[in-house]
Amino acid sequence: MSIIFKDVHRYFGSKKVLTGVNMSVQPGEKLFVIGTSGVGKSVTIKHIIGLLKPTSGEVSVDGVRVDKVSEKELFTIRRKVAMVFQASALFDSLSLLENVMLPIRKHLKLKDAEVRKKAMALLDEVGMLKHAGLYPSEIGDGMRKRVAIARALSLDPAYVLFDEPTTGLDPVSARRVDSLISQLATERNAGCIIVSHDLVSIFSTATKIAMVYKGIIYKEGPIEDFHSSTDPVIRQFLSGSSSGPMETPGF
Amino acid sequence: MTGKLYEMTANLGGFVTGIFAAALSLFSIAMRTFRGVFRFRGRAQGEVLKQMYLIGNRSLIFVTVTLGALGMVLVFQVCLQINKITGDQSQVGPEFIKGMIHAFVPILTAMMLATRVGAGIAAETGSMVVTEQIDALRMTGVDPVDFILVPRFIASVVMTFVLGVYAMVIVIVAGAFMAHSSFGVNYNVFFVFDKVTGGDLFIGSLKLIVHGGAIPIVAGYCGLTTGRGSEGVGNATTRAVINSSLAVIIIDFIISGVGLLTVQKI
Repeated sequence: MSIIFKDVHRYFGSKKVLTGVNMSVQPGEKLFVIGTSGVGKSVTIKHIIGLLKPTSGEVSVDGVRVDKVSEKELFTIRRKVAMVFQASALFDSLSLLENVMLPIRKHLKLKDAEVRKKAMALLDEVGMLKHAGLYPSEIGDGMRKRVAIARALSLDPAYVLFDEPTTGLDPVSARRVDSLISQLATERNAGCIIVSHDLVSIFSTATKIAMVYKGIIYKEGPIEDFHSSTDPVIRQFLSGSSSGPMETPGF
Repeated sequence: MTGKLYEMTANLGGFVTGIFAAALSLFSIAMRTFRGVFRFRGRAQGEVLKQMYLIGNRSLIFVTVTLGALGMVLVFQVCLQINKITGDQSQVGPEFIKGMIHAFVPILTAMMLATRVGAGIAAETGSMVVTEQIDALRMTGVDPVDFILVPRFIASVVMTFVLGVYAMVIVIVAGAFMAHSSFGVNYNVFFVFDKVTGGDLFIGSLKLIVHGGAIPIVAGYCGLTTGRGSEGVGNATTRAVINSSLAVIIIDFIISGVGLLTVQKI
């Protein structure tokens, strides 16, 4: 039971974004994928759910090769692995409750009242029940993020991917999202992969960190390994210093 | 020289492959849309009615003003020319009504909807691509075509037909008013429907239904293939207006040709 990357390469035309990614995630683990902007963190996690296919290499979820299955077969994997997108990606034309109800109605053979009840329970879990009738455009970023988490949990996934969940949030909302992620991992034993630059989030929530740099996983290990690392690239990233050996795309 | 030739051949090959891939993709979207019409599970409640309102009611003034004005101008010009030749206006009404029903109103209504509705569908779908809502739909196992295009397809087919019928009434009434007020043509002489055959009605209706279906499919294809950022959405919207208008013209041409060779009388 795990998500495994084996020597994953991904090119966009002549641009080589990933050049040999190897990493793994177990259920209950909170893996933070870190790295500078544009280095390929989001690209990496989108391979897990088949939104992107590797140019070469293998990505498997619980033994099933994601890179080999068709779009239709991918849904079995997507039921297991949910994703919370960077901009939440709530459907503008639906209310918050309908957003959460949509995957339940589509895939669980439940009566309408049961679908509604389950969706409301999920919204309650993320503290958004009293806003259930509102539309995405009527609420703030932090609230949207929480609804997106509720929607991601609607089919009881074994893994949840978060693409920069705290970006653009105020510190209080960001910490609330962090505690939701921790709650997910402990109470539901879900494996969480979180793409983030937020050092407070990383050091308060992660059980493991994988740093993407120059197209590969530069270092993967428990949080303590990063704290104690003397590697100048890692030190520079963690200190946020502008001077150092780290190369950043576009600078 | 060889390098340049190689580059030109590669570009030509890329262009042809691109067109072939786009045609396949458009065909796939059309097939998924047709299948989606008969699949109800997962469709947002009331979405078809909402789209019917947006496509139909919101286009009423646009259609009324444009086709009303067009009807008056056409009749005015025809009467003016006839006055110069024979002065016999008795055939203006019957021929005008026949022409409007099988030829002009279906294409004009559809062209207007292609600009208004096609642009709207492409912009909305394109924005959903850019904000990852399409990826989110795929993640929840919902086909974006089912979720976005199918309700718009059903609404567009129904409302293009309804608006077309409404437009026929407007254009004929406006034409009759112009003929009567400017050239003294009696309303009883103008409103003669003898020349309209079953074939005319069939072809006019068929055109409205097919055009109504083509607009959301072409516009949806443009939206779903949106590039990055707001520039991508802008391009998709422009492509949607041009391509859906072009689709309407081509389809109209084909149906007219087939109609004239089969069910219609000239």
